[in-house]
Amino acid sequence: MASGEGVMERAGAWIGGTPASLDEAAAEAARLIMASGQPLFAGLGTDVDGARHAVALAERVGGVVEHMHSAPMLRDLDSLRETGVMLTTPGEARVRADVVVLVGEGLDEAWPGLNERLLSVPARPDGADIQRRIVVLARDAPSKRPGPVETVVFGRGAGFAANLAALRARVKRRPRTAAPSQHDAIAELLREAKFGVAIWSAADLDALEIEMVNGLVRDLNESTRFSSLPLAAGGNGAGALAVCGWMTGFPMRTGFGSGAPVHDPWRYDAERLVRAGEADCVVWISAFGAPPPEWARGSIAVALCDGGARPAETPNVLIEVGRPGVDHDGVLHSSDTGTLVAVSARSRSPDGALSVAEALARIAGCLSDGSGEAC
Amino acid sequence: MLTCIKGGRIVDPANKRDEVGDLWIRDDRIVAPPQADVRPDAIVDAEGLIVMAGGIDIHSHIAGGNVNTARLLLPEQHRAHARRPAATPLSNAGWSTFETGCLYAEMGFTTVVEPAVSPHHALHAHLELADIPIIDKAILAILGNDDYVLGLMRAGEGARAIQDHVAWTLETTRALGIKVINAGGVAAFKENMRKFSFDDVVPSYGVSSRGIVKALQQAVHELGVPHPLHVHCNNLGMPGNFKTALETIGAAEDLPLHLAHLQFYGYGSEGKQGISSGAPQLAEAINAAKNVTIDVGQAMFGQTVTISSDVLRQFSARGFAHPKKYVIFDGDSNGGGIVPFEYKAGSFFNAVQFAVGLELFLLIDDPSRVFFTTDHPNGAPFTVYPELFALLMDKGLRAQWLARVPAEAAAMTTLPSLTREYTVYEIATMTRAAPAKLLGLSDRGHLGAGGRADVALYRPGKDRAAMFRSAARVYKDGDLVVRDGAVTHYRFGRAINVSPSVDAAMRKRMEGYYDARYGLPSDFMAVPEGAIPRPEPFETIACSS
Repeated sequence: MASGEGVMERAGAWIGGTPASLDEAAAEAARLIMASGQPLFAGLGTDVDGARHAVALAERVGGVVEHMHSAPMLRDLDSLRETGVMLTTPGEARVRADVVVLVGEGLDEAWPGLNERLLSVPARPDGADIQRRIVVLARDAPSKRPGPVETVVFGRGAGFAANLAALRARVKRRPRTAAPSQHDAIAELLREAKFGVAIWSAADLDALEIEMVNGLVRDLNESTRFSSLPLAAGGNGAGALAVCGWMTGFPMRTGFGSGAPVHDPWRYDAERLVRAGEADCVVWISAFGAPPPEWARGSIAVALCDGGARPAETPNVLIEVGRPGVDHDGVLHSSDTGTLVAVSARSRSPDGALSVAEALARIAGCLSDGSGEAC
Repeated sequence: MLTCIKGGRIVDPANKRDEVGDLWIRDDRIVAPPQADVRPDAIVDAEGLIVMAGGIDIHSHIAGGNVNTARLLLPEQHRAHARRPAATPLSNAGWSTFETGCLYAEMGFTTVVEPAVSPHHALHAHLELADIPIIDKAILAILGNDDYVLGLMRAGEGARAIQDHVAWTLETTRALGIKVINAGGVAAFKENMRKFSFDDVVPSYGVSSRGIVKALQQAVHELGVPHPLHVHCNNLGMPGNFKTALETIGAAEDLPLHLAHLQFYGYGSEGKQGISSGAPQLAEAINAAKNVTIDVGQAMFGQTVTISSDVLRQFSARGFAHPKKYVIFDGDSNGGGIVPFEYKAGSFFNAVQFAVGLELFLLIDDPSRVFFTTDHPNGAPFTVYPELFALLMDKGLRAQWLARVPAEAAAMTTLPSLTREYTVYEIATMTRAAPAKLLGLSDRGHLGAGGRADVALYRPGKDRAAMFRSAARVYKDGDLVVRDGAVTHYRFGRAINVSPSVDAAMRKRMEGYYDARYGLPSDFMAVPEGAIPRPEPFETIACSS
């Protein structure tokens, strides 16, 4: 695996805030992990290979794998694994969607290319441009969008889900009770779509709202074609989710204490594990500049962070890593394609930067558990 | 390292051998027996054992975006796995890539093809394959519902352009071959067509399924890709659909064609329930069409999940989901549909499906043109192969299974009257010699000198399923990886691909196409060697032209 010799010189590493060699830092990290009853590999903001190494290491030491954006990802995933969903790609939405429904807020943060790549280009399924119709189901004042937009402000709080439910009912032509008549026009617009796409970020929607949108999309497919594009979480969340899926069969929030993977969204929630004192060694991984959350303050034993993501409190071991796609090559999930994509370093330093995968391989190499086999 | 596997029954149909003898391995290759005075470094006593080349599975959905979505859709399907004694990483993770490699190896399989990868998801598929230990693997790339191929046909660009595009796709995705799945039907579903047959026309493109299949078949053939076009026909799972398969076989004319999971197209519509076996008609057609190969896609009773890039079919089947949930994915070309399903012995329809698969195995004369798949996991998980082989080898066992299904359903098939029993030699033909030939893997599937030292040793017994489930020994590239049915350690194989020469003008065209249609560089789907975290992750085999 990728753990070349020349990495020692290029890595910044510290033990208790004092500069150390990478070997010393990796050995100390391994010692802390081995001494732990339940090590927690959290953050997981890393590329595909970094996530692979984290899962492999967690399995080997009986730890837990978690991601900084598990909560929204599991909201989407829970709807998927409880009911069923219709999904499409950013490319298919761009080419085909004659109606785009933007649900809730936070869409541009989740997909910076939303306006440029989708909303400001016409659909062109068949050689001729089609004017896209954009429907915004907003909590309050919506962001400005290119082109003609039908906006419905659903309001905040429980009213949002109730309005989604009322709209869904009108799409099914169920009798209207208290639903505003504005819903009827939107419902007709959705029913007339040839290939509509609903877009949201689970960071802004709660479980009920997500389930309601998925149900709305399913219902529309009784007569026309409609699909959805739930936007991926940051920190390569979708990439880490894919890795967890193929390596363990489960998403993140999976623990290996019993020797086989056990997935439990409540039990293996990193924040809960730390607050309850159940995780006694937090390995925080963040290679995209995201700082640790409030609950992690003062509890990080080992931090693998890029320059912008260092914890405010000094961890026992800090190893500086590069950003995938900036400092070193890697594979990341892309919001523009909806797939895993190989990215090349943009500004490779002369020595190269240490990757999370390399750092974890170094740590794994120092484990004294008698197992020589890495995966 | 020179090893002599001594005194086993060597079953090697590729070299027309079935005799007790010695097999010699030097490092990762099979070698001719050396002169009498040469002493091996190791002698393996194989007396009483059956010695075969490593098994090759040509059609099993083991990796890629759709398979991974199925894992995430069904956590309850792999929560309760029995622990294994193995000490290899993640081999206790149910349905993981790691477990997949272990389970195949323990059955004596050493090469497996993932037959349905959308080009845009090739990197993802290869990353998963790289985490499947022991076995070698390959992908087939999907074309035939994508805008580019359909657009070329609409524009009347001709065979050469399609050929160039097929070559570009094979190279870019590092695939071993091309598959077409409900040709045109998935594109038509995006325009809300809910049924699509062989002569139906994709609305925006004006091309028929027949036209697409023939164009791709021709292109694959002209490029000299060893594996012929791999076809998933229209109308999968519909009563009366054996006629669709017959039409497709007819359209192949004299060029090679592979039909995938034919069982799912083996249905007539006779009887009170409107479902009967069409297997005899299909088998007769296959027996006559020497250019056509098929795999069966046998259905076995139990819970499974259907994973298919036939989005139209999967959408139609969503109402049969068990448990009641599904994912329908409208992808950039095919996409996918994931619908969990339980085959029940008491179900009339499922019983006919079970019988149709076995009828195809037993009515098609030539075991080198019929392959043993379950279309994993669509008909059943690949782990049922041992039971399937036992059924083929034992008519008494078939009678026991038939006793479990509704008698009226069995009566809609010819299975109760079939007495043929496969021999070990025929099983070896179907699982070793024939698939290597079909895929163009000249150093696999046989035990002749120069062959790759992928070797499986089985301990024969009354329980044939037990013999195939748990190989006594398995060598991968000469390395002993399985002992008494248990993986001893990991090694990592390669992804095998073809690399036909690609026209520079087509590269340029694809750059322009992706920029105009998607606003993306055409290399976003590239699979650079450096992105795959294994040393030498690929092996390229030659095209014939």
